[in-house]
Amino acid sequence: MRHVRFQGGHLAAAVPSSPEPLSLEPRLEERLASLLRSGRLLHTLVDALGSPLNVVLPDQIAENAERFRAAYGTRHLGGQVFFAHKANRSSALVRRLAAADAAVDVASLGELQHALGAGFTPDRIMATGPKNPEFLWLAARTGVTVNVDSYGELEALATLVRERELARIRVLLRLSAFDGPGVRVLSRPSRFGSPAGELEQLLKAVERHADAVELIGVGYHLDTTSLDEKARALEGCVRAMDACRGRGLRPRVVDIGGGFGVNYLAHGAQWERYTSALTAAVLGRRPAITWRGHGYGLRNDAGTLRGSLALYPAHRPVAGDRYLDELLSLPAPSFGGRPLATLLLENLYDLYTEPGRALVDQCGLVLARVLEVRRTDGGEHLVRLGMKADDAGLEEHGVLMDPVLLARDGVRATCGGEPVGVYLAGSLCLEADLITRRMVFLPRLPRPGELLGFANTAGYCMDFQTSGAQHQPVARKVAAWQEEGSWHWCLDEQYWPITRPGGER
Amino acid sequence: MRYDSITEAIGNTPLVRIDPAVHGLRHIDLYAKLELLNPFGSVKDRAAWHMARAGLADAVAHGSQVVELSSGNTAKALAVIAGMHGLSFKSVTNRMRIPEIKDLLLLLGAEIEELPGQSECLDPTNTDDPLTLFHRELSGLGHSYLHTDQYFNARNTEAHTTGTGPEIVKDLDGRAPDWFIACVGTAGSSTGVARVLREHDPRVRVVGLVAGKADFIPGIRTLDEVHEVGLFDPDTYDTMESVSSDEAIEGMLTLARRCGILAGPTGGAAYYGTVRHLQAWDDELTSGQGSAAARGARRSAVFIVCDRIESYLGYTRQRRPDLFHQPPRRNAVADLTAAEIASAGAIDTQDAQKWMVQERPLVVDLRSPFAYAALHIEGAINIVDELFEELVRGGLPFGKQQPVLLVCPVGEQSARYAALLTRMGHPDVRSLSGGVIAWRDAGAPLVRE
Repeated sequence: MRHVRFQGGHLAAAVPSSPEPLSLEPRLEERLASLLRSGRLLHTLVDALGSPLNVVLPDQIAENAERFRAAYGTRHLGGQVFFAHKANRSSALVRRLAAADAAVDVASLGELQHALGAGFTPDRIMATGPKNPEFLWLAARTGVTVNVDSYGELEALATLVRERELARIRVLLRLSAFDGPGVRVLSRPSRFGSPAGELEQLLKAVERHADAVELIGVGYHLDTTSLDEKARALEGCVRAMDACRGRGLRPRVVDIGGGFGVNYLAHGAQWERYTSALTAAVLGRRPAITWRGHGYGLRNDAGTLRGSLALYPAHRPVAGDRYLDELLSLPAPSFGGRPLATLLLENLYDLYTEPGRALVDQCGLVLARVLEVRRTDGGEHLVRLGMKADDAGLEEHGVLMDPVLLARDGVRATCGGEPVGVYLAGSLCLEADLITRRMVFLPRLPRPGELLGFANTAGYCMDFQTSGAQHQPVARKVAAWQEEGSWHWCLDEQYWPITRPGGER
Repeated sequence: MRYDSITEAIGNTPLVRIDPAVHGLRHIDLYAKLELLNPFGSVKDRAAWHMARAGLADAVAHGSQVVELSSGNTAKALAVIAGMHGLSFKSVTNRMRIPEIKDLLLLLGAEIEELPGQSECLDPTNTDDPLTLFHRELSGLGHSYLHTDQYFNARNTEAHTTGTGPEIVKDLDGRAPDWFIACVGTAGSSTGVARVLREHDPRVRVVGLVAGKADFIPGIRTLDEVHEVGLFDPDTYDTMESVSSDEAIEGMLTLARRCGILAGPTGGAAYYGTVRHLQAWDDELTSGQGSAAARGARRSAVFIVCDRIESYLGYTRQRRPDLFHQPPRRNAVADLTAAEIASAGAIDTQDAQKWMVQERPLVVDLRSPFAYAALHIEGAINIVDELFEELVRGGLPFGKQQPVLLVCPVGEQSARYAALLTRMGHPDVRSLSGGVIAWRDAGAPLVRE
């Protein structure tokens, strides 16, 4: 390109030719922002409980559940919002939800035990995912709803109920591989659920086991950010429900799973600028902005960009309850173009959703202490933290977001002078243990003893894959809440919605 | 003009001067290359025909399927060409966002496969992007495909070095224009034309137009996306500028309403970007900067109008509903006041059941036929709300002697229509409070037929 010149107000950001701060500021809602302003408290906590430290905000998850509820409400839809427990192990979050108008979906024996112990009654628990016999037994024993993954599982469950003389159990059938009218949509093949084409066979089994199982609905869970794919699956579920009714069954629930997404970044423009810069760096048109030129899935093939960006779309204007709302407003072509919400409502169906990530949006923070700041041979700043890459999991999930730097006096460092680009390394004795493979721009060079706060990490990032590798500590977890204008905290396992340390609220 | 085949009508499109009173440039003559007049409707007819032609005989012999990653115009042209030769055509894409074009492709007999969306639970170690999978399938054993490969096929560019480019030079009496402005999609037309023009006059300035990153203009790539195109060479362009969808529609309106050129938004973007870019140069020529020779001399510029307006009505309506103003409606639900709706006659399940026995009201279920067929109140007739709205626009659809019970899912829609019918003079119309859901929850009977 002889020169690049952009006109018009819409694209003032030209491709930069020299390194410049490429910030990706996290989106902070008031509660999490307020916690980060309580830097002294956070320092005290890490001093006392060690680095890394996870902080969760139980009141936020209740607020998020209410937002999902509101999206149901505006469309007059009944049903339930199930928190996909696997997104976070916290007891405080689950116990707080138990005290709210929400339910929980559990994907293992341990999660089921946890949910029951946190105060969820079986009518507000759904067992999903792949299940082992013990999990299935406890689910049937306690009478939670089982989201049946396959034909074999349905048989096993019915046998279990009959042989152990348990009460008839409510089931949902998880379907996959939906066909639809119009163009063919190539969906990513899923390991889970039964192909929608096998519904007939499943329904025969449901009828055969009528004494043991009660079909309450059908559902899907698609791993995609595409609204169109989900709309097609939802339409497929309505058709499946109609097939059930045609056989005299009376299911009432359509379960559309999760995957509503989170908007992680405060500014869309920063995300656009960053991804453009990454493209330019991969093509060699600007200096590298990642550790050893890592391309996050992109590669340079003789000047042409190949591959696809293996990053979570960190700036998503439509996420969470708004994504749900958008999905429900899409038309269903095979039902005369009626919006999906209308379709559910008119057919008298209840809606189940299973948000995980979206329900713990703004619910947590990982704190880590700065241990060392040095220069590499290449002259790059390397900041070593008292944590491992798997303690924050941002890189593993492709979520790019800047940490917040908290000085010793508790004040959040702000951008006064020139930001400085650093690489963040973990404490494992492994070359691969980088907290980020991209250069992170901090307001200034951090000092040992200061804290970096990774905000909004409660969804899958915080403890999804933590390990005790190399005998490094696994993060302790605390719950924090606001009361009478100040922040309070307790260990996660000490949190109950009705009590506060020192006695009843 | 007499042709043996429609494909002979591809190319040789007119170069039409835009009235200076419209664009306002004082020293620059502006010409539109009307690629919309190609027989299948777009500039892509040239590339599609040029790319496919070479392999057609072989494809016919093997019964191959023609395949392309295309979101619109290339697919349209290829679908026609494939059909003319007795071949099937498949388009694979995740960029097809214009429903009219999708429908047209289906009409033409094309098979469309949409690529899946991004994974919500990312696996960063997964290297199988959809395009890699697509190419793997193409090279798989036992399949026979004619893959035209527009993003990498040199014949795409060649269609323009042998056609579009020389045509422009010929129509400008053997000269190249001072500026050539093109929207960048596959980069085929801009690269091919630029090459020919520069051979004639190396001083020609080439402007590439792209869309803003978060924006969408059909047929145009964004600044990042152009790098995914094999034919894209940044050195082709003296400058790259971005156009917004609003500006594209603005340009489209000017071309259609003032120039009689029924261009789509891509052509609109080209026009808008051209005038914006040239404005500064025009001012400079006026103020007399530059060499004495440059002063007074007229300059020329050419932009490409890629395709036609008709397919983009939905696209335009979504962004500029103001352009589709409708006359005010009579008897519209939207005109009702909250007070009118609140005071509409309502009746709960228990009373409704008694009323139905005593007065035999006409029960109208406003839900969709599918929901109605699944479960409804016995004796109810089904008039879906959309249809009912149309019906009452012309007047009451039943006599005033006939009591009416309106039913919808939760009693909200039915309350509106009850209010509307009351306003229209019906003396006894009621809405079922809480709708069918309340009816069901009260244990009242529902039937399925």
